[in-house]
Amino acid sequence: MGFGLVRILRRAAFRLRRAQLSRDLSEELDFHRLLKEQQHLRNGLSAQAAGNLSKQQMGNMTLAREDSRELWSFVKLERLFQDLRYATRIFVRAPLFTAIAALSLALGIGGNAAMFSLVNTLLVRPLPYFQPQRLIRVTGIYPRAAVQFFQQRSRGMDVAAVSTPSELNLTARGEAIRVSGSAVSASLLSVLGVSVARGRNFEAGEDSPGRDGIVILSDSLWRHAFGADPTIVGSSITLNGVHRQVIGVMPPDFSFPSANVQLWFPMRLDSSNFLEYWAGEFVPLIGRLRPGAAILQAQSEIRTLVSQFRRTFPYPMARDWNSDAAAIPLQQDLVGDVRRKLILLLSSVSMVLLIACVNIASLLLSRATARRKEIALRAALGAGRARIIRQLLTESVFLALIGGSAGVLVGTGALSIFKSVLPSSLPGLARAAIDWNVVAAVAALALFAGLAFGIAPALSASQIDLTDALKTGSQRGTGGVWTRLRSWLIAAQVALTLVLVVGAGLLIKSLYRLSEADPGFEPRGILTVRMSPNQSLCIERPACIALYARLAKQAEELPGVAGASVANTVPLDGNLPTLAVDVEGHPKSADYPAPMLWAGAVSPEFFRMLHIPLLAGREFARSDGAKSEPVLLISASTARRFWPVENPVGKHIKPAGSRQWRTVVGVVGDVRQYTLSQGLPTWVAGAIYMPYAQSTLGDGQIPASMTLLVRAADSARLRSELRRLAEDQNPDIPVGGVQPLEEIVSGSISAFRSTIQLFISFAGVALLLAAMGIYGLVSYWVSQRTYEIGLRMAIGATRRCILRMVLAQSFRITLCGIAGGIVAALALTRFLASLLYEVGATDPWTLLTVAVLILAVAFTASCVPAWRAAQTDPTKSLRIE
Amino acid sequence: MGSHNSTQDILPGTLDLLILRTLALGPRHGYGIAERLRQVSDDVLQVGESSLYPALQRLLLNGWVKAEWGASENNRRARYYTLTAAGRKQLAAEREQLTRMIEAIQKVLRMA
Repeated sequence: MGFGLVRILRRAAFRLRRAQLSRDLSEELDFHRLLKEQQHLRNGLSAQAAGNLSKQQMGNMTLAREDSRELWSFVKLERLFQDLRYATRIFVRAPLFTAIAALSLALGIGGNAAMFSLVNTLLVRPLPYFQPQRLIRVTGIYPRAAVQFFQQRSRGMDVAAVSTPSELNLTARGEAIRVSGSAVSASLLSVLGVSVARGRNFEAGEDSPGRDGIVILSDSLWRHAFGADPTIVGSSITLNGVHRQVIGVMPPDFSFPSANVQLWFPMRLDSSNFLEYWAGEFVPLIGRLRPGAAILQAQSEIRTLVSQFRRTFPYPMARDWNSDAAAIPLQQDLVGDVRRKLILLLSSVSMVLLIACVNIASLLLSRATARRKEIALRAALGAGRARIIRQLLTESVFLALIGGSAGVLVGTGALSIFKSVLPSSLPGLARAAIDWNVVAAVAALALFAGLAFGIAPALSASQIDLTDALKTGSQRGTGGVWTRLRSWLIAAQVALTLVLVVGAGLLIKSLYRLSEADPGFEPRGILTVRMSPNQSLCIERPACIALYARLAKQAEELPGVAGASVANTVPLDGNLPTLAVDVEGHPKSADYPAPMLWAGAVSPEFFRMLHIPLLAGREFARSDGAKSEPVLLISASTARRFWPVENPVGKHIKPAGSRQWRTVVGVVGDVRQYTLSQGLPTWVAGAIYMPYAQSTLGDGQIPASMTLLVRAADSARLRSELRRLAEDQNPDIPVGGVQPLEEIVSGSISAFRSTIQLFISFAGVALLLAAMGIYGLVSYWVSQRTYEIGLRMAIGATRRCILRMVLAQSFRITLCGIAGGIVAALALTRFLASLLYEVGATDPWTLLTVAVLILAVAFTASCVPAWRAAQTDPTKSLRIE
Repeated sequence: MGSHNSTQDILPGTLDLLILRTLALGPRHGYGIAERLRQVSDDVLQVGESSLYPALQRLLLNGWVKAEWGASENNRRARYYTLTAAGRKQLAAEREQLTRMIEAIQKVLRMA
């Protein structure tokens, strides 16, 4: 090994002095010949004879020089550089080809690089916690009572609970800001196996009443709201009116349960507070398997514990409540349904790359044919078939690497686009970046692609009959296995393109249907602004009632405002206020537990402002106040569900914890409250509305956070006036931005829209590539058949005839591709089904439209070369041969 | 043209050995090496320049000889090759290897 290294260094030294060594050798050979000549002279020959003889006897000096020279160079390496230099010259001479090829590759490889990075970060890379494979999620949601129950009885795992993040008011240095925070059990940090960067973790028992007045901040909150104050630990902040002491700051990339959470505080486990312990928010449970325990153990334990726990409920729960509870790995739970979307994106991007490779292979095949003369010349000069193949492969791999490096740039851009399509709350999303792993994968991909699309052309080009190619220098004949291969490649490309475009088409149609869907209300012309006081402000119900009544009245008096109302939520703003209720005539039992209804708290003008129709009975009036008889409005589907044949007006419903029945006074139209496509989630049985003054949340209190709606024309002046009006009511109340209702509605489908835009761009790229491919193929055909075309024209074919002939051939291939594509589309689009709205995955109109579109594109792409064929001058083309 | 038992007749790889052995007696230039070989072998071994000089380059690359320009007998510049210490070791090794090979061949030829 050491000997080898010294040799290489010596060889390198020789290489540097190659010119000098060559001169030395010439001088040496000359000297040798001279001595030989002198010897002949001594032997008695004449001067001339001696000279000639010595020259003859010198043997092959060229061979001596060549062989010596080989020892002064790195032959293989220099041959490679030679090939690369030649390839560069070729690329520079054919800029359009190089640009198209490099661009196609950059797009395909770049998209895939971005996807690699995402899949690697989200699906493959383990969670950044201690021994992440031992972390599990218990499916289903549980009341707070379950946390202690499970913690005390579980033998196989350490259990912790994490509530879904909610919006809270943080008051620290003066003004109040809205932050997202999560209530967690004290064991959470130890279960995850992470620790704070400053301060201390929660200790066991700090989730019991009296010890839970503490909070841990996220790194970003500490930096942005507190200016990275090093004395933060130990200081006090106010959260929703409750004083809490800051005991720690998490490290920068801790993002559990979601990337939006900015602080964590203990979840109070107080068995004496019935509502909070048993009937309040239900939370997910996670756990860490204890050493020696396996996931199957945890699985069976959970089933047992759940059924035991169900029996301890102080009110009847459905018999099959959480009976299908299971233990799943935490990573799987966190990524969950994003996995399907990721895989969809990955497949589409891979398809685009495939199409790009096919394109380039096809382009290279045609160029190889065009270079036959040059390659034949090389073969005549002594290059073996292997040498020629190596040179052609070097070219294609070089091209692939160029495309690959451009692809890394494209990938960085593509990655940020992909990230915007995925939910931003996904933990770890921010970590996805183009790092060295991805670059290595890209390089490997480029290498593979270069070999894949270079091998066919290299094999085809090196297979030449020397004399034939050199003599005629023409490209006769249209047969040959390589030409057929090219046609099939293009047909495959068309098929893949059809699948992508059909996918995009189905999504576009879904979006169209969705935007045409009747949401049940009229969002135009309404401005909204949200106020979120602490719940403590509304302990005295009259205070809040007066606050919002005053707000609405003052808003109405603003110039340009035609009406104002308040509501606890506007449709599609993402809130889901639910209430467990008792319904008259539908008693509760283990099989029919209390239904959950969507509960709105509104002022009387709400329905008229949003044009929600009144279908029966009467609307709310000002007389329905805090002291009058409690009344309700129900939605049409709620009426149908509970009283399908009777008149719902006059029936009674009450919140599950309360004793007073409320009377239904009217029925209003259905409104798509939660999502535009579905309306309400499947576990919500219907919707009711209460007048604000009489309204109640699950814990008996009046809703504190309300949205003000005004009917007015949007203007910057009005927006600032509204905002100021809201802020003036009470400086401690955080006020959100003013948003038109239309914006909220379109915002609810923005993720869907981004996904569609992404698909459309994939489909567009695929279509472009297919067009280029068809253009290339038809040009190639035409150049192959110049002689034949000239012949046909000479014996009487018209220009139109030629045109028809070329176009017919192109159409034949395109139709093959379309047929194949339709079959593939019928099989593959079912994977899109979860994203579609009111559109079947095999919608025939979409298939037809896309087929026609592709035919049109193929026609356009074939037009130019076909027209050029028709312009052939027969005398010229016949003479070339 | 004279008998041309050129180096194609010699076992491949032995040219290096022959050159090294010749240089063991002292520095020589290329012509000198070829002449010496011809003389000692009674005209049997006639090394052509097309094999000699590449072989010398190979020996240089492997570090078994070193080369210097010097004045020749007729006061012209000539390149003299000298055996190095590593070359001496290589000479001994190759010599032993060749001897063993020849003995083996002779045994085969002598067999009944």
